[in-house]
Amino acid sequence: MADVEDTLKRIETQKGVIGTVVVNGDGIPIRTTLDNSTTVKYAGLFRQLTVMARSTVRDIDPQNDLTFLRIRTKKHEIMVALENDFLLIVIQKPCE
Amino acid sequence: MSSSVANEERKKRRTLVLRPSSRAVNVFASGIYGVNQGPRHTSSVLGSSSRRSFSLGGGSKVLEKSATHTPRQDARVLDEENNDVTPQPLYKADPGAVQVKGSRFFVEEICAESASDQITATGSFTRPFSRSLLGSSRISSQSTIDSMNEDIEETFSKRDMPINFPDVQGKKDTVKELVTEEMLKEVIDVYISETDSISLLDIPCYVVSVDTDDAEVIIERNNQYAEVCRNRMGNDRSMQTLNEAVKNKHVQIDGMVMVDTATTVSTWDMYDTLCSPEQDDTVRSPEPEKLNYPDAVLGISRGAERGMSLGSTASIASAASSLKDVEVVGNTLNSESDLQLIMHSEKFQYCLLVMERGILGNIFQPNLAVYRQLPALEDPDSPVKPGTMEQRKEDAESCGSPALQRLWTFSCELSRGRSVSSMAWNKKNPDLLAVGYGELVSSDLKPGLVCCWSLKNPTWPERVVHCDSAVTSLDFSANNPSQLAVGMHDGSIAIYDVQSQDKKWHVISSSECPKKHLGPVRQLRWTQQKLSLTGEEKVEVLFSVAADGRISIWFVLNSGLDCIDLMKLKRIHNMKKKAGRNKDKTESVLSALTPGLCFDFHPTDSSLYLAGTWDGHIHKCSCSNSQQFLETFRKHFCPVNCVAWCPLSPDVFLSCSSDWTIQLWKQDHLHPVLGFTSTQRAVYDIKWSPKWATVFGAVNEGQLEIWDLNSSVLDPVAVQPAATSVMMRSLLFALHTDCVLVGDSDGQVTVYQLKNLSVGESSQVDILEDLIRSAASR
Repeated sequence: MADVEDTLKRIETQKGVIGTVVVNGDGIPIRTTLDNSTTVKYAGLFRQLTVMARSTVRDIDPQNDLTFLRIRTKKHEIMVALENDFLLIVIQKPCE
Repeated sequence: MSSSVANEERKKRRTLVLRPSSRAVNVFASGIYGVNQGPRHTSSVLGSSSRRSFSLGGGSKVLEKSATHTPRQDARVLDEENNDVTPQPLYKADPGAVQVKGSRFFVEEICAESASDQITATGSFTRPFSRSLLGSSRISSQSTIDSMNEDIEETFSKRDMPINFPDVQGKKDTVKELVTEEMLKEVIDVYISETDSISLLDIPCYVVSVDTDDAEVIIERNNQYAEVCRNRMGNDRSMQTLNEAVKNKHVQIDGMVMVDTATTVSTWDMYDTLCSPEQDDTVRSPEPEKLNYPDAVLGISRGAERGMSLGSTASIASAASSLKDVEVVGNTLNSESDLQLIMHSEKFQYCLLVMERGILGNIFQPNLAVYRQLPALEDPDSPVKPGTMEQRKEDAESCGSPALQRLWTFSCELSRGRSVSSMAWNKKNPDLLAVGYGELVSSDLKPGLVCCWSLKNPTWPERVVHCDSAVTSLDFSANNPSQLAVGMHDGSIAIYDVQSQDKKWHVISSSECPKKHLGPVRQLRWTQQKLSLTGEEKVEVLFSVAADGRISIWFVLNSGLDCIDLMKLKRIHNMKKKAGRNKDKTESVLSALTPGLCFDFHPTDSSLYLAGTWDGHIHKCSCSNSQQFLETFRKHFCPVNCVAWCPLSPDVFLSCSSDWTIQLWKQDHLHPVLGFTSTQRAVYDIKWSPKWATVFGAVNEGQLEIWDLNSSVLDPVAVQPAATSVMMRSLLFALHTDCVLVGDSDGQVTVYQLKNLSVGESSQVDILEDLIRSAASR
């Protein structure tokens, strides 16, 4: 448990990471480093997106499943680790 | 028809009535009585002339017939004998048949009957007139009328009839009065018989063959008729139903509750249901609730996020939003436990791992790409500074001097402050590096640390093992790639299983072994060894050399390690003895063994090994001979810190020592072929490059040196000075890339890339050999 906590802290303090959101299975953000409105936005929107993405992957092959989703935008890179019960969203700014 | 005739007669009659001079019927109140009255009347009064006056003026047939019938009325046919052979009428009515029919009794069919009435009834001459020829379309053919007329006329001739033209009703009554009593008592037979069928309309059908000429016309007419029938109003039903009367009935029931549900089914949904029905219930039951609480944490924004794929209706969403405030409290409690649950799950940990590597991959991508000799991805969206562009161009263009480029550093707070004592690559996974931290100088014995680093995460080690004492040497096993042998400062050796996830490393330790080393274990090596001289199979054995002067083989015995001494490094006395003084002090008081600092096995012949000692001697030994050294190489006068066989060229090895020198030896030469010095510092580590035979690296206290014997024998081709106040301690070449790892006394392992080494493609062995030969011949 302490290990997990440490790892999460390490991720949150990595270079370039803007924010981290952990969302539980119901779509409620349970741990975040961003402000409230942004957190809520990210949680809600990415919940939808991941459901859609997972549905796509599984429609193609039901034995497959989506594990990781990475979105590269102009300003950031958003990485989402997917599981059945939770979502881990990390937003990183690429550093040069 | 007769009716028309009758109508005409009626009209005429009326006119006749008005003319009193006419002999026709005077009074006929209603034209009911038929034609026949007229002629009768007139005939009774007059003769045949009356009949003529019964002119209907129309030239009707009746008239003419009556005219023709005139002579017949008086005629009595007499034959020669004056027999009355007057032809009798065919039908003789019964004289007693008094017809009590009312004047209204218009039975049209009984024309014959009425005729009989006339014949029989004397007074009731009106009877026949009761038959009305008027009214609806009736009778018959003209012939019937003719006969009737004849009959009527005949009856008239026979009787004396009073001129009696009663009114319709009144006349009847008067007629009735004439009925005598006896007539009433008579039995009257009434014969009722069926009349002929009267066909009102008879259009016989005729059948026409299709081939005839006018068949089309007929067919068309048929069709037209069918259409007329079809278009007739009320014909749209095939059967007639009667529209009954409508009755209203009221019923009262409870209002029906309507609930909308919807779902979408996808391929994977069906697959899930098929595969694991029991799992499904648990999976699906939280899903409908997920719709309701998308943002229940602080209830800020309701709204558009509600459009979930499970077809939630607006009602559910609105219900959820109304319940949200109530549930916020509940949810905060839930979220805590959720967090705990999630954090504990393995999947979360794995996700964290992957995520961290992803993040670091982004951060370190250029450097890692260089390490792996892949092109670095350029970020297309980042603002490119003009300075960096030029610098990159410069780098690309400079094909000049070899240089070392720093890529990254493995360091974390755990390792800070500790000195790196040894490093080893994993034999199976070339990305895994084990680093042992421990002080060489036993000034402060901190407990040792072993960190297993992965290239994918330079900021935190994958595994951290805390050891009892300072770690002095490491090696990964080749047969069991997850086993790591660690030698420690107190002489004990432990074997860890790095792969296990939990904290309990599978540890085999030699601390209980009675024959364990008494001094720090300077070097460990896993080597394949033949078990016996004749046998071909090779077993991997762990060798160690320690500061107590023993070289031992270790094996697992009863969950502990046990060792067999392979060699004892005896001190070799100098040939020169101190003359005179203590002849009996040939043996020194000091122990007969000298600490061994390093050893190295021959790359091809694994029973042959070199051992470097604290004395400065290098002994070549064999595993089969544990008593004697095969050879001794003397040159160094300070402890030999490292010996290394050249992996590419046999029989060549390097040694480095604290006397600031590096020596290149050939196996059968007791003197070094070449010696290198660069700085006046003790050289701690030396390694051959795995790729080029002429390249090796050396680490002394202050710098990292890369020597290329091809280009220069006197100076290193590339020098990387250490950071200030940091001493470089150990060196490792990366296996498949041009990188070098250097561990320093601050606990950092830095990765450098060798650039622009102007070495050819081949392994340079021949060049090395030439060099050696030329040097040796000097």
